[in-house]
Amino acid sequence: MAIVRSPLLRQIRRKPLHFLGPFTVIIVLALFILSPSTLSSISGFNSTKTKYNYTPKTGFFGSSSKNKNFQSNLPGNHISHYDLNKLKSTPRAAYNKERILVLSPISRFYNEYWANLLKLTYPRDAMELGFILPRTAEGDEALKKLEKAIKIVQTGPKDDRFAKITILRQDNDGLESQLEKDRHELSVQKERRKNMAIARNSLLFTSLSPYTSWVLWLDADIIESPPTLIQDLISHDKPVMSANVYQRYKNDKGQPDIRPYDFNNWVESEEGLRIAENMADDEIVVEGYAEIATYRPLMAHFYDKNGDVNTEMQLDGVGGGAVMVKADVHRDGAMFPPFPFYHLIETEGFAKMAKRLGYEVFGLPNYLVYHYNE
Amino acid sequence: MNSLSPDYPKASPLRTSCGRLSVIGVVVFVLLLTSKLLFFGSLYIPNFDKVENTEYYDLMDAHGYKDGWRREERVLFCVPLRDASPHLPMFFNHMRNLTYPHHLIDLAFLVSDSSDNTMGDLKQHINDIQNDPDVSVRFGEIEIFEKDFGQSIGQGFSDRHGFAAQGPRRKLMARARNWLWTVAIKPYHSWVYWRDADVETVPGEILEDLMHHDKDVIVPNVWRPLPDWLGNQQPYDLNSWQESDGGLQLANTLDEDAVIVEGYVEYSTWRPHLAYLRDPYGDIEVEMPLDGIGGVSILCRASVFRAGSHFPAFSFEKHAETEAFGKLSKRMGFSVYGLPHYVIWHIYEPSSDDLKHMEWMAQEEAKQKEEEKLRGIYDKIWNEGFEDVQDSWKADKINIMKNTDMSGHRKIVVDWSGVDEEEYFKKSVPIKNVVDGNGEPIIAGADAVSGDKAAADDETQLTEKDILANFDPTKE
Repeated sequence: MAIVRSPLLRQIRRKPLHFLGPFTVIIVLALFILSPSTLSSISGFNSTKTKYNYTPKTGFFGSSSKNKNFQSNLPGNHISHYDLNKLKSTPRAAYNKERILVLSPISRFYNEYWANLLKLTYPRDAMELGFILPRTAEGDEALKKLEKAIKIVQTGPKDDRFAKITILRQDNDGLESQLEKDRHELSVQKERRKNMAIARNSLLFTSLSPYTSWVLWLDADIIESPPTLIQDLISHDKPVMSANVYQRYKNDKGQPDIRPYDFNNWVESEEGLRIAENMADDEIVVEGYAEIATYRPLMAHFYDKNGDVNTEMQLDGVGGGAVMVKADVHRDGAMFPPFPFYHLIETEGFAKMAKRLGYEVFGLPNYLVYHYNE
Repeated sequence: MNSLSPDYPKASPLRTSCGRLSVIGVVVFVLLLTSKLLFFGSLYIPNFDKVENTEYYDLMDAHGYKDGWRREERVLFCVPLRDASPHLPMFFNHMRNLTYPHHLIDLAFLVSDSSDNTMGDLKQHINDIQNDPDVSVRFGEIEIFEKDFGQSIGQGFSDRHGFAAQGPRRKLMARARNWLWTVAIKPYHSWVYWRDADVETVPGEILEDLMHHDKDVIVPNVWRPLPDWLGNQQPYDLNSWQESDGGLQLANTLDEDAVIVEGYVEYSTWRPHLAYLRDPYGDIEVEMPLDGIGGVSILCRASVFRAGSHFPAFSFEKHAETEAFGKLSKRMGFSVYGLPHYVIWHIYEPSSDDLKHMEWMAQEEAKQKEEEKLRGIYDKIWNEGFEDVQDSWKADKINIMKNTDMSGHRKIVVDWSGVDEEEYFKKSVPIKNVVDGNGEPIIAGADAVSGDKAAADDETQLTEKDILANFDPTKE
């Protein structure tokens, strides 16, 4: 650049006006092209007539891309009509091509998760995906990998493409650290799960559409499940149905083994209620901590290797690992409370809210999905 | 960058234009550099332009600034409708008058349990507005949803506003509202505005007026005009209030599923209501923090809904629907405010008591008309059946009376004072005194006279007239 610039600088030094004149002209031209209304307000065209100033505040170096997606989505006459009375959530969802929305908050992208997701056998043309990522470097990392993975599928064979994919960036600041150790510290639990609850709600409510029949919450660290996961959970025809989350590991003898992972699927206990009663309004009861011994029956402990996979049990709290929800439950307002709701937060609070709305919550103790092992 | 070639001509006629070209080159370079620098250090943005059915949104782009109309911020305009056909023409007039850029407003309607032609009329109105020759009148995306919830409660004013109906009714309306926004809200919406169709008077700047306060949830004051006989105007929306100790105490005494509703004697909460704090001459910018809010006109940041706040269709802290929405939003850390002196006007719908009263008034009016008609007939009969002989009597009486000796006739004076007062009609107030010309009493106490009021009246009047006017002995 130095070779190019030096004669010019010399020129400017010699005859500064030769530079200043055209420069001003260009600035004015730029103003005129980029925001004509700015100019009109300068010359006083639409001043003081209206109560508010309607001059657009677009960036100086180009207009915003805010409405890019919006415009491409519009129907011809801008009017669409949906009859929600005809919307159904039935056990024969795959046959009826009922739309399912698979939602995953992602802070780390695991190839195993994506591979498992692609193995699911539900018809793709009735399957929508939704992802939400935190505003962190980690989120950037995951987004790049996700983008690559999505592009492969969505530009691949037509039959393999998903009906729709929505990727969101969270608007609140995610917690920086997602290390396994910090993540489960009791003191950060409330803040972390509040954040997670808001992420889940943002994802859910912006992607839930008038034709969605089912919502599957599938955590981004669930890396193994039966390929018929969706059909299996739907076949029970329950408003909320949770699978049991386990983890593969190597035991002391170096043998591959499995152990319970998610303790948020539970049945309420006398002790749990008693603890909640004596708590301050903004405190929460969480599972898996010695400080709070609730003696709640945990679904994780009800797994029977030889039991029937279709065994159901009624629950009061659910985890977010793999939960199937009839979309109507969410439409009625059941969300993930980001604050202590009956001393419960996030997915556990969601179960409570669904129950307050008159829905029943179930789990399948013998139906396993597997969590990533860090 | 060709113009920036090193062999720059130094003394040719082309110098000036070349200089300009080089300058343009430099400026373009600087512009490019700056825009690159602006993106440096910010988040990664994926590019899905060529990927089918895949969309990326940064929710921060839909933050909801207080001058959203200058930042291309989209507003989701939610309108729940039920049997609303008669209100639609008025409603769409208001829509045309909105000053917020129409192309930034997306409309979402929920039509539920309607027995009239709400759906047909709605579509008609929307088609009219979307095909308006003036493009700036047309709105962004319009979605109409249909969902019946099977209301068992009637839609008359008193059916809806009766005390017993409130709990279940509010929960049902909450469900309807939730069904509307959960399917309508998109990642690019920055604000959500809720509006009932039956608002009569509202400024076209309503969105800007509420938005520029920079609050997460904000409501105006809602009043309604009344007929003269009810006092001209009245607070309408009593669901906007601040929590009070009385309210909290009451909440503690109720069971988990109970719903407190404002404005009913059954639940006296002593809460300060937004509606009653109105000063017609007050500053419209005055803000007041609220706990419960009404649903006639609510502006909220879309992030409030995205974070999970909604209209609880269950008893949340002993409230449901919009009042609970206020409480829930506050619980989630959002700011909830009302504007006591900024008023919009709901239409007047008569209650069943009002209707009874109006019926009575109509009957009274009919009765009066009937009476007037009858009187007309009587007057006519009277005029035709009887001849007025007053004038001829005046001429005749002198001749008739001139031979009569009046010297022995006593002049009678009646003291009427006190008779006209009200008690006269309730109990018989005695005529105080009847005396003759010399002051000698003819009747003292007048119980004898008031035995038959009407008769006595006629008698004394006659006597008075005759004697005072015509039999003045001094004239003779």
